Amino acid sequence: MDMECFVENIVTDKQVTSDIKELIPDAGLRRRMSRILKSAVMTAIECAGGTDGIDGIDAIITATGLGCLSDSERFLRNMIADSEQLLNPAPFIQSTFNTAGGQIAMLRHNHCYNVTYVNRDCGFEDALLDALMRMADSQSRRVLVGAFDEQTPSQYRIMERMGFWRHGTCREGSVFTTLTAMPTDSAIAELSCMDFLSGPITEENCMKSYSGGDDAVLLTNDMEDVGLFPVVPARLFAEGVRKIAEGAERVIIYDRHGGDRQTVMVLKCIGH
Amino acid sequence: MKIVVGGVGLVSALGSGVDANIAAMREGRSGIAPSPSILRTGNKIPVGEVALTNDELHRRLNIPIDCHLSRTALLGISAVREAMNDARIPQGLRVGIVSATSVGGMDLTENFFREFIADESRGRLRDVRMHDCGAGTDAIARYCGIEGYRTTISTACSSAANAIMTGARLIRHGVADCVVAGGTDALSAFTLNGFKSLMILDEKPCRPFDESRAGLNLGEGAGYVVLLRGEDAADPYCTLAGYANRNDAYHQTASSADGEGAYLAMSDALAVAGIEPSQVGYINVHGTGTPNNDASEGAAMQRLFGSHIPPFSSTKGFTGHTLAAAGGIEAVFSSLAVKYGLLYPNINFKKPIDGRGPVPVCEFAEGKDIKYVLSNSFGFGGNCSSLVFAK
Amino acid sequence: MEQLIQELKEHLIEELNLEEIAPEDIDAEAPLFGDGLGLDSIDALEIILILEKFYGIKLKNSAEAKPIFYSVKTLAEYIMQNRK
Repeated sequence: MDMECFVENIVTDKQVTSDIKELIPDAGLRRRMSRILKSAVMTAIECAGGTDGIDGIDAIITATGLGCLSDSERFLRNMIADSEQLLNPAPFIQSTFNTAGGQIAMLRHNHCYNVTYVNRDCGFEDALLDALMRMADSQSRRVLVGAFDEQTPSQYRIMERMGFWRHGTCREGSVFTTLTAMPTDSAIAELSCMDFLSGPITEENCMKSYSGGDDAVLLTNDMEDVGLFPVVPARLFAEGVRKIAEGAERVIIYDRHGGDRQTVMVLKCIGH
Repeated sequence: MKIVVGGVGLVSALGSGVDANIAAMREGRSGIAPSPSILRTGNKIPVGEVALTNDELHRRLNIPIDCHLSRTALLGISAVREAMNDARIPQGLRVGIVSATSVGGMDLTENFFREFIADESRGRLRDVRMHDCGAGTDAIARYCGIEGYRTTISTACSSAANAIMTGARLIRHGVADCVVAGGTDALSAFTLNGFKSLMILDEKPCRPFDESRAGLNLGEGAGYVVLLRGEDAADPYCTLAGYANRNDAYHQTASSADGEGAYLAMSDALAVAGIEPSQVGYINVHGTGTPNNDASEGAAMQRLFGSHIPPFSSTKGFTGHTLAAAGGIEAVFSSLAVKYGLLYPNINFKKPIDGRGPVPVCEFAEGKDIKYVLSNSFGFGGNCSSLVFAK
Repeated sequence: MEQLIQELKEHLIEELNLEEIAPEDIDAEAPLFGDGLGLDSIDALEIILILEKFYGIKLKNSAEAKPIFYSVKTLAEYIMQNRK
């Protein structure tokens, strides 16, 4: 698809160093947040360049696989244990998939476009596509896109019973990126292409089709990681951006989701 | 590029199919029952339940019972098939789907969890296989022969409106030639108890925009529209002329008193359609029946339309609040309102809020000259969406 | 009464996740909502649950609760009069 944008910043939860009280000064907002909500909102703020940075964002687009799972589970357990009596509303309202997006908006009373994709591990790319469309239509100039996923012991146990987790990779965490329609002084990379393929292609063909004659680096995901969690492709995207920051001219990201969906994204260094 | 609604499909407590739903509203017959009869719950509280068990839904849809699909997926398949048959999509188009849900496969997960929390080696795995929201969309695509781009949106009660907006934008940008867009949600003990814990369920049939309103009734169902480029539809219902999503950014569950998010969503959607507020002929409001929503939405309408609020009504007194499906079901109602000049009654309304609040449409009407219909859907997390359907 | 006030503060901290606040930080006569402790409508629902769970007192809705929920002290007084 002929749409492009610029990656201004990308932050993973591991890189967040600021204190939570600094990033989320409102104690009222903080106290109901589960672990994953804190992680997602803090990563988003850090990515936006601090709480004030949220003011400059004109679209907030998030992706998650199972959402705020510990809150959902807590409400479900209480409901069953207490036979549908005397239920605390907090975990129910926090369990909604768009809670993280909503809380980011609420922090600075940002009234902009705010949507959440819940489409297994394709959600992050769906969110990127949404951002590209908004910028192509001049509806947005600086978009915050992020993925977050939470794991709980019960979910781990259930997926183990289903035969997942042979490698035990961690699928929990948050990744947020700010994208701009025009290159800014701090732009790291250009997202110059995003294609959805209806079937798998070989890595060789992928290189041939998307390298454009440059010295391209190909990044692909581990098939073991295909499944439910958009934070996995988001981490791959972050790795691609890092490679550009370290000097690569072009990075091709080939995300195999299995079945009928494969995504190819091309990142280029600025001014190339 | 003109995006049109080429086909519509829905299932709700009023019945399966568009005709059954319109007939019920024409007769003023609500789908709200005094308490759930299929849902496994101890709560005796009014709901708008689809009167078919999961087994019956499998059979009606010719899907083997041992496929064990979630109720959310089954309701979605029912509405999507109707919409696609209705649209008669031209051969060769790349058809995609944008589906919305807030509970996903929770109706089955609940069964699993009852056993699992007693003993972690128990609970049937087939009951959690469809827990995630994307699984329902995958099932709908598979059983309706949709092979193009597909995604799932979940922004609480505005989800389906956002799905329809996204569908139109995907066609504009050439990601798909045709998109089936809307939402589906099954009743679940999880959501019923969730809303109960928030003390916003009315113990009587809900009364949107009425002075005595005391909360919402939950419903279930699915509503989808088939979006096409104008040139690909022979006899479309209407044009999807405008859409917008904005955030109230006020509170996780409550709406602001001045309805800032609602106001911004409505005015942006009208701006996208390129029309003035005075051109709107009917508003299908969000109108849940909670004191907070209706006061906030009413304030936003008063801000936008001044003293000339167009004819408006909430159809949730008929269907219940179907959460992520609401925007889809109401998009179908709105499309029919444009095509046939329909106005739907806001049942159970008696007295305006504070004696001077806006008064909704109370009689079913048809053959009205309606050029533009505005449809509102607002959700938790401050999520506010509006769609504009045009002749 | 003093003991009930202390107990109520502990319940509030526990049930409303007021992790960063100690019982002695809560002024029993200061408003719980708005400017005081800064609680909101969801907290009101949680306090209704505290009354029911620990003191067997049932309140129908948060409107009825408004004067009762003004401060920890008004809450304690109401509990003294109505506990089962």
